[in-house]
Amino acid sequence: MAVEITKAEVDAVYPTVAKTIADALGSEVDEIRPDASLINDLGAESIDFLDIVFRLERAFKVKIPRGKIIEDARGELPEAAFEQKGVVTDAGLATLRSFLSEVPADRIKSPLKVADVPRLFTPQTFAKLVIRAQREQGAKA
Amino acid sequence: MALDGGFADKVVVVSGGSRGIGRAIVELFAAEGAHVSFFYRQDKAAADAVIAACDTAAGRVTAMQVDIRDSAACREAADKIVETHGRVDVLVNNAGVIRDNVLVGLEDEDIRTVLDVNVAGVFNVTRAIAPFMISKRAGKIINLSSVSGAKGGRGQTNYAASKGAIDGLTRALAAELASRKITVNAVAPGVIETEMSAAVRELAGDDIKSRILLKRFGQPREIANAVWFLASSLADYVTGQVLYVDGGFKME
Repeated sequence: MAVEITKAEVDAVYPTVAKTIADALGSEVDEIRPDASLINDLGAESIDFLDIVFRLERAFKVKIPRGKIIEDARGELPEAAFEQKGVVTDAGLATLRSFLSEVPADRIKSPLKVADVPRLFTPQTFAKLVIRAQREQGAKA
Repeated sequence: MALDGGFADKVVVVSGGSRGIGRAIVELFAAEGAHVSFFYRQDKAAADAVIAACDTAAGRVTAMQVDIRDSAACREAADKIVETHGRVDVLVNNAGVIRDNVLVGLEDEDIRTVLDVNVAGVFNVTRAIAPFMISKRAGKIINLSSVSGAKGGRGQTNYAASKGAIDGLTRALAAELASRKITVNAVAPGVIETEMSAAVRELAGDDIKSRILLKRFGQPREIANAVWFLASSLADYVTGQVLYVDGGFKME
């Protein structure tokens, strides 16, 4: 079982994450609300996610495999239990609510297409991504 | 009046820059005042000769030994260039090899080498550099294709397949990167007077020449000129195109 990410850990990386996202999206840092949906509220596109991850890797000197958030979110749930015909199952939704605890729960509701999962991601989701990458690389080092 | 391509202090990366067309591209951008970093695989003497030839150029030229089949080496080189210059404005994927033979005579190695260098190599270099362009929301990528990609030529199935792949990659990548104001185009040379084409020119030179509308082979500089155009702001509205610079060879 993964160790919970604490608020203090998120607070430590958050300012750099918010600045990085603002730079990638060409927005002001105060427009980057911690619980904003990057896609729905901040106008990010899929290529922006790649840019954000690329910039975070450089800013924090960590390696973040592409597609890592969804892979981590699924956790130990087999793909067939997570989604069926491109739609997230009830078990999948429960996993997402727990993994994406920073996302207001009312946004994680059925029916949710797998393709729309990135719409849930917020700046805090990326802060947690950085923390997990730091932990993994710290563990390896 | 000379056209200004706006290359003063621009950061240009050229793969396969030590010889032939690549060398002409390096020399042209160096003369235009760009900071040119070029990759070469093994011929250090040739790379040094290019640097020496650019000695009095307005721009700076740096040679890096990079085997573009090695994606980690490509990333390392890209990181180094960006550490020094802060960005990459122009990427010219020029490196390429030929291993001509009729299909049934091709060895595994002849197929693998051509596809690894000409196709995977372009993927590797571009994956290393494009993220920096995406971050800057600007950039020009120019891939060297070949008339072989579109016109059937005996003994070049491996090379033709690799260049056809480049044409497809060029169009797909243009679509991917358009929203970041990065243009992606290809230049498809015909038969150019370089070491690489020496064998084919020797073997069938007169026959080939008779099928080129302009009745002569091209010079490396004539390909570099087309790359210059596509890399310049004059071509800001051009993307996803394959520009044939072949003396009309493809039409015949």
